[in-house]
Amino acid sequence: MKRLKFLLALWCAKLSVIALKVTGHRGTDFPGRVAVKICPDFLHQARLPSRILGVTGTNGKTTVCNLLIGMLRADGKKILDNNQGSNTITGLTTAVLRDMSLGGRSRSDVAVLEIDERSSRVVFPLMAPDFLLINNLTRDSIMRNGHPEYISRVLTNAMPEKTKLILNGDDLIASNVAPGNPRVYYGIESMPGDVKECINLVNDLQICPRCHSILEYTSRRYHHIGRAFCPECGFHSPRLHYTGRDVNEKEMTFDIDYRPHPVQDDAPVQRQADPGNAAGAEAPAGDGWTHRFRILNESVFNVYNVLAAVSYLSELGYAPERIDQLLQKTEIVKSRFQVEKMGGYSVIKQMSKDRNALGSSRAFDYVSGLPGDKELILMMNNLSDAAVWSENTCWLYDCDFEFLNKDNIRNIIVTGPRAKDYYLRLKMAGIDDDRISFVHDEIDAPGALRLYEGESIYVLYGTDSIDLADQVVARVKEVISQRTKDAPAAERGTAQ
Amino acid sequence: MKIEILYPEICNLYGDLANIRYLKECLPDAEVIRTSLQSRPRFTEEAVDLVYMGTTTENGQQLALEQLRFLREPIFERIEAGGNFLVTGNAMELFGERIEEDGVEVLRGLGLFPGVARRSSINRFNSLFLGTFDPSAGSSDAPSAKAGGGEETIRVVGFKSQFGHMYGTDGDHGLDDLALFVPERGPGMNRYAAGEGIRIKNFMATYVIGPLLILNPPFTKWFIENRLGVSIPHLAYEDAAMDSYNTRVAEYSDPDTGLYYWGGTTERWT
Repeated sequence: MKRLKFLLALWCAKLSVIALKVTGHRGTDFPGRVAVKICPDFLHQARLPSRILGVTGTNGKTTVCNLLIGMLRADGKKILDNNQGSNTITGLTTAVLRDMSLGGRSRSDVAVLEIDERSSRVVFPLMAPDFLLINNLTRDSIMRNGHPEYISRVLTNAMPEKTKLILNGDDLIASNVAPGNPRVYYGIESMPGDVKECINLVNDLQICPRCHSILEYTSRRYHHIGRAFCPECGFHSPRLHYTGRDVNEKEMTFDIDYRPHPVQDDAPVQRQADPGNAAGAEAPAGDGWTHRFRILNESVFNVYNVLAAVSYLSELGYAPERIDQLLQKTEIVKSRFQVEKMGGYSVIKQMSKDRNALGSSRAFDYVSGLPGDKELILMMNNLSDAAVWSENTCWLYDCDFEFLNKDNIRNIIVTGPRAKDYYLRLKMAGIDDDRISFVHDEIDAPGALRLYEGESIYVLYGTDSIDLADQVVARVKEVISQRTKDAPAAERGTAQ
Repeated sequence: MKIEILYPEICNLYGDLANIRYLKECLPDAEVIRTSLQSRPRFTEEAVDLVYMGTTTENGQQLALEQLRFLREPIFERIEAGGNFLVTGNAMELFGERIEEDGVEVLRGLGLFPGVARRSSINRFNSLFLGTFDPSAGSSDAPSAKAGGGEETIRVVGFKSQFGHMYGTDGDHGLDDLALFVPERGPGMNRYAAGEGIRIKNFMATYVIGPLLILNPPFTKWFIENRLGVSIPHLAYEDAAMDSYNTRVAEYSDPDTGLYYWGGTTERWT
């Protein structure tokens, strides 16, 4: 009876997939909704691929998933993934049923699933990942996620006991999730830009999780990401199995040291046997290795993403040389970061997650650290919120707009439903009026560009404005084309 | 002028501390004191013009209460003497009778007012808030007085995002008489309450989170003038703040603007 209910749910949901195709809809989790409605434990009933790889965390999980998918596909694996849909239970169900035959069997070798961290409490009882990577736990949407300590608790309570965790050991919130589970840690050795004191507005781990004394950071990358210890009770960041070091921005490479048994005084590290080894590569050498890998762009955030993906594949049994080969064939998905050169200008479309103070702070820090003149169009406006209510903009005051207060950021165009809030926030960040432009509609924003010779123009957009960002980028290119025709370079970008 | 932030290492969620950054910009000569869990609050030893406490985690509530419990008397004395307290988000719950989670008492509060916070371990309640503040109510001489005065009420806007709500120990409306704000749209202390927040003398607490003082220049001006005693208050970026405020008041007053957010969907509420 259960099987019949499952098959009925599968067939109805598959019919809805066809209906959606016919009507031109894409990326929706409607089929998953149908399946869950008919068969609430659809994921539990489903015959999934033999290996389930999960990725969760606040920022970067899509990029890590895309890297994993890219590398495993390059290795010839058939992948079940949810990168076209949502990462909640209905999105995961949609991905699973799309992958299935009418008889209910998966057609893939491996599932690589991005799992919304808050949804773990409903997903994990139905589907236990063999491996789960948590790349960080930081502040996210106030409305959904509350605060990282809450998310850590949700994950810990929901964690299947056999799931092996691959954790960012530089994040003391993520690395303390589900302390009873087998785990390995990755992290980055000290880097030139590291600080000890927090320079960000948000620092979510200031006190020792054990004794509540103030933690001391020996190195800090940003926010609470770094290496810390408690001078009172001796608590400290975990020893790393995978250590990234010697990031070379010129060569766009970094080295990773793998040590299977780092000195570890918090919990014994168990390197799981790898029966089945669906990925099909050799198990890593017992003595560890050191290898150089490419990075996809120079932001620290993306170094972490590559380190995470490499660590993951190593845990699956891939040798570092093979991981390196597979990584060479992989790119960051273009919807998140895209550069185009035009008439001496660089036009960069970069996602800067709205409602996510940390994500936007990282984007601002990255952009502000790049050389050369820049103009920015800020359009992280939560359009879905604007359609039905008014956005909760608390996150603007957790986000480091202060990074944008740099002389070479010469014009910041605020636009869209919350433009006045952005304007006020930029003022509070100490940015003068002559470096802020206000344009009501996003599509008109490029008209306020000043076009300083050789500059970079950044379109920073939110998660629900990908299409609009494309239109704005197109308009930016029109403006460049028009102005370069109309005026010689010397006349552009001189008047304020 | 001295402004003391209690436990900023844990009471710092949702942009709440921006309130004090903004006050510092409005009052450049003010000294901001950051008192950690390991330190004795300065207001217990010397005159402090404002004590501020912001939103924290559920674990943070427990840690803060472990300290505040020993300070119950000085806090009550200070409030009785007319000292200024501004408390935002779930920090308000620490000053009630108790906090329950999923129906079980998890923390005993300071008992400043007869309120019980009932929170869920899973569900999050999100809403916008539009209400009014009556400057003439709750003067330092008359705790919780609601006698209308000559001053005009001030409209207040803001956001709420919380795991629980506060109820009177004797019912849904038990805290209405102590309200800091009167809701116009959006919820009060709970789904049924006619008041939002707590005002006892110059102790002001509200579930409204985040940049309350930045979003509400008229209220902030009143606060600086009447509570912090600055005769000619100057607001930082006043024009920009007023422009944003007026836009938000208009948005929130519009009956087509949804006021509740429920896990990705909104429900209209008037």
